[in-house]
Amino acid sequence: MQNSYLISGIVIAVIATYMTRLIPFLFFAKRKPSPMIRYIEWNMPLMIMVILVFYALKDVKWAQYPYGMAEIIGVAVAILIHLKFNNALLSIIISTMTYMFLIQKVFV
Amino acid sequence: MKFLSIVKLTIPVLMGYIPLGMAFGLLLSKLMIPWYYAFFMSTFIFAGSGQFLALSLFASQATILEIGIATFLLNLRHSFYGLSMINTFENFSWKRYYLIFGLTDETFALLKTNEIEEKNREKVYLIITALNQSYWVIGSVIGALLGNILPFNYKGIEFSLTALFVVLSIELYKKSKLHKPFLIAVIIGIVGMLGFPSDKMLILSLSLAAAVLILFKGSLEDAK
Repeated sequence: MQNSYLISGIVIAVIATYMTRLIPFLFFAKRKPSPMIRYIEWNMPLMIMVILVFYALKDVKWAQYPYGMAEIIGVAVAILIHLKFNNALLSIIISTMTYMFLIQKVFV
Repeated sequence: MKFLSIVKLTIPVLMGYIPLGMAFGLLLSKLMIPWYYAFFMSTFIFAGSGQFLALSLFASQATILEIGIATFLLNLRHSFYGLSMINTFENFSWKRYYLIFGLTDETFALLKTNEIEEKNREKVYLIITALNQSYWVIGSVIGALLGNILPFNYKGIEFSLTALFVVLSIELYKKSKLHKPFLIAVIIGIVGMLGFPSDKMLILSLSLAAAVLILFKGSLEDAK
């Protein structure tokens, strides 16, 4: 691949990505925080986070063996460990190890 | 806040970004692109799925305009993160432009969930963002240089990002005053996961969630 093509492609990707992150600050930052913006700030992050969970699972093939079992068990382990011990790192490490074990050794 | 305890906060992202960055670097080297492009892309673009998209567009020799539009649309979800950060970043120095630059899915998640005392907030946010980015850059360079020869079977380790989102959802839910937005997000998430086209799932779901949140503000706030 030509260097000039790669470089211009990267430059445009840099600009496009930074724009998506900068836009809200350009359009809303100068105004006084309205009740609507505060309401969005309070409630949108939880909705984003929940949707990111499903986004992370979007490529699971639910209709094929093992029917997303590894993902369901992994998520369940993360929830249970987190509710029990309330330690983010612990929940993430144990559920990830469970998931890796399941897809490497059990549902192969 | 001690540096080490900040590092500890970012470990879940480390566990996700190193292997994901390696996968990116590996793909880049398979396209016969020199390794230092992995460094430049991860340093200056810093968007996981955006960089994978860029590689596939390079591979199909897409035009520069196509690369720009596709990247913009894919990353448009980040605008929602910014919207939730306006007041938080408002009193920060010019360094906030780096924080805005570094507002990936995972960085946003960490910043929004961890409560940091106000006087150290800007510094801690900068360290978190810089650490996350360094994991991503290191992972992608390792992947580009030696992804082919590493023997460790890290298949499945990217689940740590899913688990991170699960844990952070629980944390935000505990803090949330309203509970209906959570239920609505679960429903939208399931519908989006099963029904929306995979490459547009996130932006469609987030737009739908924002629309419901805004349109039904009255009834969502009433029923506590």
